[in-house]
Amino acid sequence: MSRRLTKLALVLILVLLSACGAPPKKDLALERVRGELDELKSNPELAGYAPLAVGEAERAIRAAELASGDDLYRSYLVYMADRRIQIARTMAEREQNEKTLDELAREKSAMLIKASQLEADQARMDAEEARLLVATTAEEAQRAREEKEAALQKEAESARAAQLSAEEADQARRVAESRASEAEYARLEAELASQQVTSLTRQLENLQLRETESGVVVTLGDVLFASGQARLVEGGRSSLEEVVDLLQTEPDKKIRVEGHTDSLGDAQANLLLSEQRAEAVLEALVSMGVDSERISSLGMGEDFPIASNEDEDGRARNRRVDVILLDN
Amino acid sequence: MKPILIALVCLVLAACTTVRPDPSILETAEQAIEAAEAVGGDEFAPVEMRFAREKLASARIGMEKEKYEVAVYLVEESEINSELAIEKSRTAKTRRRVNELRKSNVELDERLRATFGDEYK
Repeated sequence: MSRRLTKLALVLILVLLSACGAPPKKDLALERVRGELDELKSNPELAGYAPLAVGEAERAIRAAELASGDDLYRSYLVYMADRRIQIARTMAEREQNEKTLDELAREKSAMLIKASQLEADQARMDAEEARLLVATTAEEAQRAREEKEAALQKEAESARAAQLSAEEADQARRVAESRASEAEYARLEAELASQQVTSLTRQLENLQLRETESGVVVTLGDVLFASGQARLVEGGRSSLEEVVDLLQTEPDKKIRVEGHTDSLGDAQANLLLSEQRAEAVLEALVSMGVDSERISSLGMGEDFPIASNEDEDGRARNRRVDVILLDN
Repeated sequence: MKPILIALVCLVLAACTTVRPDPSILETAEQAIEAAEAVGGDEFAPVEMRFAREKLASARIGMEKEKYEVAVYLVEESEINSELAIEKSRTAKTRRRVNELRKSNVELDERLRATFGDEYK
């Protein structure tokens, strides 16, 4: 009897023990949720972020694990734990994104700082380059001026030497004039070198110019001479100054001076008069610095009118001296 | 034997007649959904929004049928889905900002390389 009792007690104790120590029913859903939390905690990207939310998820899982009793309550707790883990995960992601945003903002400002430094460097370099360029250009221009002046000096000297060899009294007078004019020529050339374009346009504005097949023609009206006379009137020379300036812009071209008259009077007389007037203009131009080697004169008489000889206006236009810059 | 039976019946009855919860818990869950909608939940967390709405609808039915225990659980589950939707929406916005800034940094980098060449490391 006592043996049986003892046996019964033993069995009872075993049953009780087994009830206490019995592991809770294996719950696959709960295991999966636990696995998700472990993954989040060991995820190299997300570990350490959102610690409070992770702690809440941890507590929710523990509550589900400890819960005994009906399945409805347990599955509710498991569901809540699962959502808590998802919340913790998305918060961890967000914290990580915010950290990345900080890094990107730092990168951006570093780039902008670097860019502004480079910009400043480049501006400094540009300024230095521009300064050097200006300096070099000024030097080159100066050198060109000096070379030109030296060349002109030489030319003037050789012209002087060549002309000195001519012995005639008339020639001697011209040489003397030409000396003075060569010096002036040199001076004008030097000035022209620095002015060139502007002075040329200025001249072209004031002179009456025509383009012809033989070259540019400058027409001098009948203001240079008194009626029937072959001598330049007082002040005629000064009206030739602009012509000289123009001629000197093309120092390599030959020049022909042509005299023309209207059709009044004897044709032979007109031819002679036109020739004398052309010569007078030639002499004036040479005395004002035009190289005598490149200039020639010609009387054309009344045969080349540029306007009608029927009225005074037209005749006035036909009485003229043309200075032609020959193209060849 | 009799007392045991009475006790059992009492237990079963107690389980069935869980106290009727405050009906305002439904409103609270509804407000949670509205809060989630306000931060763009339907755009950034459509699945969670659907869960939140469906669970709230089920909770209402549970309340009507006096299945109070399950109704309470469903309300809680609805609310936590709204909460998750809110968190997901916020995270999606930061992700979007990260992508934009990263892109603009790449463009800036390219532009600086084109402008400064080798000097720009």
